[in-house]
Amino acid sequence: MWSEKHRPQSISDMVGNEESRATIIEWFVKWKKGTKPILIVGPPGIGKTTIAYLTTKQFRYDMIGLNASDIRSKSRINEILSPVLGNVSVLGTPMIFVDEVDGIHGRGDYGGAEALIQILKEPTVPIVLAANSDLSDKMKSIKKVVKTIYFKPIPPRLLRVYLQNILKKENAKLSPGSLIKVIDKSHGDIRSMINLTQSLVTGFNPQTDQSFENINVENGIDAFFKAKSLDEARSVLYSMQIDPKQKIDAFYSSIITSNLDTQTLAKLLNVLSEADILYGKIMKTQNWRLLRYLNEILLALYKNDDRIRYTQYNLSWSLLNRIRWDGRKIKALSLVIAKKLHMSSSAFVTICFPYILFCIKNKKLEFELEETFGDIIEKEIELLK
Amino acid sequence: MSWRKIPMKFSGTCIVCNEKIEINEMGLWAKGVGVKHEKCAQIKELQCIICASPAGCPQCEFQDNCDIEKVSQICICKKCSEEKDVFELYQKSTLKKFPLLNLNS
Repeated sequence: MWSEKHRPQSISDMVGNEESRATIIEWFVKWKKGTKPILIVGPPGIGKTTIAYLTTKQFRYDMIGLNASDIRSKSRINEILSPVLGNVSVLGTPMIFVDEVDGIHGRGDYGGAEALIQILKEPTVPIVLAANSDLSDKMKSIKKVVKTIYFKPIPPRLLRVYLQNILKKENAKLSPGSLIKVIDKSHGDIRSMINLTQSLVTGFNPQTDQSFENINVENGIDAFFKAKSLDEARSVLYSMQIDPKQKIDAFYSSIITSNLDTQTLAKLLNVLSEADILYGKIMKTQNWRLLRYLNEILLALYKNDDRIRYTQYNLSWSLLNRIRWDGRKIKALSLVIAKKLHMSSSAFVTICFPYILFCIKNKKLEFELEETFGDIIEKEIELLK
Repeated sequence: MSWRKIPMKFSGTCIVCNEKIEINEMGLWAKGVGVKHEKCAQIKELQCIICASPAGCPQCEFQDNCDIEKVSQICICKKCSEEKDVFELYQKSTLKKFPLLNLNS
């Protein structure tokens, strides 16, 4: 992924938020025991995590990274941080980084926020927090004990300079119209801008002036199986910004209706079941951080295979046809016969219909039916064989 | 419409920021339109980090998608953005303006 490949190697390689970056460095330079921790607030993809990692590297700290799920309960937070805060010299020079600290709120918090605030009040090691927003009540109480530094979206023209530099390094080109659209679409989010650019440059979506706000599921699935390399397939997958369940379903219906040999089909369905299990786990625990692994699981489906094309329906066409057309006729027929037999049409279809067909076939029973039902009765009798 | 710079004889509400303009404070007044603070009358522009001049926001090609109030306050003007090695120039200027960023890894 270009977003990983071109991740800044030093703080000066970053773009935008110059003053905030300088403030963070100044905080690290002047840090001593008891210095207020810092909270970096800003929208996703503008370098909050990156600067935390880079400062750790440049100031030679050993980073202990936590996320919202680690700080949900008091016992968990103490379990992780007590050794760090108590035995600093044994553990090198630790620095605590709590990412997405605003993710802990409401019913998900079992005393974690309070425990964290206690630690933030008397820091013995540098503590850096990052959050997308500081507006919740929990964040307001955290903000009282930290120094807040805001990271703002990057101005689009500056983003273009950054993007052009990446394109230059990749020896790639993007039409001026596409360049502007990529930047507009990213809304200051560098990560999404680079991902979108990579997906365009790798060629599954032609660089025209047409809108490419979202790669629809049809183009996405087709481009995935047409991709010439794993990297290309990955970028296609990441560009399909649709509901994860919809993504799994789309792959399922496309694979199940394709003409594949049993071995390949079994292998692909196995991958899909892994993805489905992950999705189930996410829904059950509401731990959406796990979503980041979904694309990597789905990537195992990649195979340059012409046989697989996007299909919306997860049944074969012949079966779908029968359900749609024959099903309608059977329903109409069942309404007529069920009335004659004084029973519900659903009970008739479920229990009696095959026996009635046998009776009609063996000429033991006669119904006065419209001629239009003749075809379907004959067809169903044929199927009884 | 012409805006006249006047000392406020009566208090009023700025049509830009909706804040009060006090008596004797300087304000800009236009007949039939209202009053606004002097600072609110200034068109806000980002600054070019390379040449230190205004970035030319009113003429920017990204004007519709750039919320000047909300974005990081340093940008690049059109002229500088057309230089050959513009990203290197940006980095050099940033390090010059914010020497703290010049940390060796």
